Amino acid sequence: MSAYAAGAVAGFRRLVASPGEMVARACFYGVIVGVLSSLWRAAADATGGSIVGYDVAAITWYIVFSEASVNGTKFRMIEHIGTEIGSGAFAVEMLRPVRAVTFRMAGELGDGVVRLGAMVGVGTLFGTLIAGPPPRLETYVLAIVSALLAISCNIAAQHAFAAMAFWQHEAKGAWFLYQKLVFVLGGMLLPLQIFPAWLESAAWASPFWTMSYAPARLAAGFAEPWLLLGQAAWLVVLYGAAVAAFAAGERHLQEVGA
Amino acid sequence: MIFAATMRKAFSEAWAKRSSFWFQVGVMVANDLFFVAFWFLFFNEVESVRGWDVERTLLLLAMLATVSGAALGLFANARWLGQTISDGGMDAALALPANPLTYLLGRSVDPSMLGDLVFGPLLFVALGDLSVERVALFVLGSAVGTVVFVSFLVLLASLTFFVGGRGEHAELGFQAILMLSSYPPDIFAGATKLVLFTVVPAAFVSGLPTRLVDEFSPALASSMVGVAALFAVGAYAAFGAGVRRYRSGSAWTGA
Amino acid sequence: MAVVEAVGLVKTFRTGRGRSARTVEAVAGIGFSVEAGERLAYIGPNGAGKSTSIKILTGILHPDEGSAQVLGLVPWEQRRRLALEIGTLFGQRSQLWLELPARESLSLLGAIYRLGKDRTERRIAELGELLEASDLFDTPVRHLSLGQRMRCELAASLLHEPQVLFLDEPTIGLDLVAKQRFRDLVVRLNEETGTTLFLTSHDVSDIEQVARRVIVINHGRLIYDDKVSVMRRSLLRTKLLEVRFDDRVDDLAVEGAEVVKGSGTGYKLRVDTDRRPIRHVLDDLLDRYHVADISVLDPPLEDVITEIYEARP
Repeated sequence: MSAYAAGAVAGFRRLVASPGEMVARACFYGVIVGVLSSLWRAAADATGGSIVGYDVAAITWYIVFSEASVNGTKFRMIEHIGTEIGSGAFAVEMLRPVRAVTFRMAGELGDGVVRLGAMVGVGTLFGTLIAGPPPRLETYVLAIVSALLAISCNIAAQHAFAAMAFWQHEAKGAWFLYQKLVFVLGGMLLPLQIFPAWLESAAWASPFWTMSYAPARLAAGFAEPWLLLGQAAWLVVLYGAAVAAFAAGERHLQEVGA
Repeated sequence: MIFAATMRKAFSEAWAKRSSFWFQVGVMVANDLFFVAFWFLFFNEVESVRGWDVERTLLLLAMLATVSGAALGLFANARWLGQTISDGGMDAALALPANPLTYLLGRSVDPSMLGDLVFGPLLFVALGDLSVERVALFVLGSAVGTVVFVSFLVLLASLTFFVGGRGEHAELGFQAILMLSSYPPDIFAGATKLVLFTVVPAAFVSGLPTRLVDEFSPALASSMVGVAALFAVGAYAAFGAGVRRYRSGSAWTGA
Repeated sequence: MAVVEAVGLVKTFRTGRGRSARTVEAVAGIGFSVEAGERLAYIGPNGAGKSTSIKILTGILHPDEGSAQVLGLVPWEQRRRLALEIGTLFGQRSQLWLELPARESLSLLGAIYRLGKDRTERRIAELGELLEASDLFDTPVRHLSLGQRMRCELAASLLHEPQVLFLDEPTIGLDLVAKQRFRDLVVRLNEETGTTLFLTSHDVSDIEQVARRVIVINHGRLIYDDKVSVMRRSLLRTKLLEVRFDDRVDDLAVEGAEVVKGSGTGYKLRVDTDRRPIRHVLDDLLDRYHVADISVLDPPLEDVITEIYEARP
């Protein structure tokens, strides 16, 4: 098994060994799904049964997957990475015969698979109870694949953002900003269709839609498989950005000390 | 008064780390502005939802910001009370010649939440339609909300005296009430709505205070004040019972 | 064959920003060589340049000037290749994944170091025996005591049979028994497998019991490089006397002995045995005073090292 695959498996096993925080998060996710789907269903009722093209069932499943995809990655990941860089723990990882940032991302992906599984499980249960089964089975299956791509893109992007810690010694501000970008531009709280034209363009031009909107849109019943291609393309770009950001950070360490 | 003194000290501590202070305030304000943007986008598509339009919902936001700013900004320790108890922080508090609850509540100030305490009223003013009556009701509403919020946190924390743990349930309850207070309560159906009025009193934190400002009635006002008083007394009693148990040595505060 | 060859290493850092920007010369021309199988202590006060020079040798940093080769590789140019041949153990940072049992961390490391499943399993078994840690490998690391954890950390750093092992403050926080056990293990490791040990420590006993050679760094420069035994011998000329008298003694004066501290009935004296043999000093003391108790001690290695730090600029 390659080192990176082994890293992913280790990330998976670590979360399974100590799932407390994830369980709490899953409960929180359940509450969010309940609250947000109530909001959007009330909205759909008020506009004659459907809002920007989503009927009550569709909007419920949209929320289930938009929230699951975002909650499928570790909360405050950027901050954690930042802390490890700032404290010098990352320098130790540079001693291994693997590319440190890729190894880290592999670990987070293994972790994310467990997380996403938990969220999708809880969400599918809630969604079915609230609004019946997913509108289309084929798109539901695609949504799951899309959600995996979503967390991959999310992880890569967070690593690129977190690299600021090489300069700032921590990344709290980056996390806060990132979260809001995903919430809005990523379509987590609001389907992109609701945006005014200029905002919708901005959303499509940025990578955040890959992290939440894509799986949500598919789960809502819209047969748009090209979303997956878009996610894959962005994944390549974001991975490259993360690698480049960390390389720049490591070069910076040369000047100021590891 | 010891309470005022501890508050003053907490303020000067936070003020001493000034750049961090302003950063956190900025973060909170940005967070609030984000929510404003969210509601604008939402109501762009739908005129109103179960009696809540954009103005009333922004009023809700203003109310919540003010309440959480007051509760978590001025009484920042309330959120961490459960953890303080489980960490043995009660010993230090009990050694002082002051009421332990008021001491612990007044002990620290969270500057980031003070950003909310400024934003809330500003948003209220920005919504227009100001009158002496509305301002007074806004103040009354936020006072009620703050009392209920802090009392709720104290109640949750007091559980730590009886069931142990590190205050995780308090943190979950905190997140739940914050989340439920962020949206118009009328979007929820029957059973959930009941929860908002009882177990997780989010309705008293933001929903009802908002209605008070828009649709004042003496009955509503007095029942809100009554409920707030009830929560406050209940929290005080629960905490007191917990302290008595703690002092008798039978409380489990396993870390 | 030299496993480490360093010549004229210089490394400068930039700190601060704008007007308060300064350059710090962390390493100002360090050079030495280490032969295979050596046990070397690499010591110096905080800020002396130890960590920086080790980071250069392990490939994390590249020097501004000078050259170095570790196992024939240039560390900062072939970092990942070198990583396959060297091992590192940090007393203050864990290489293991705390939630998992050590065995799983070791399997993961086996994959990282490209050992293949069979060799990994064999190594885990061997290390379990060598380090007397087989029974620890299946417990989650966070449930182990610090001493037990350090043995697992040692296993982790040795899994890929490195030729050189860098140990940074390995015994920090361990109790005396665990420290001793750890020291015995690494010495045995060196004697049985010929692994070169490169040890940094503030614990003088680590140096005395593990290392055969000591290099002292201060202000980015190498100020001492010799065998531990030579370092010790050069201070055997100094002895310490701890004396307790029956009656109170004021103005204690003995030829050849200098009062370090004390008064009344208890005193500590320092004797330069080159100037006056310790026997004569003892005879004087016993003749002239009523001595209740007396001990002759070697000065701690610490004092010597401090002397070295302070003596050279």
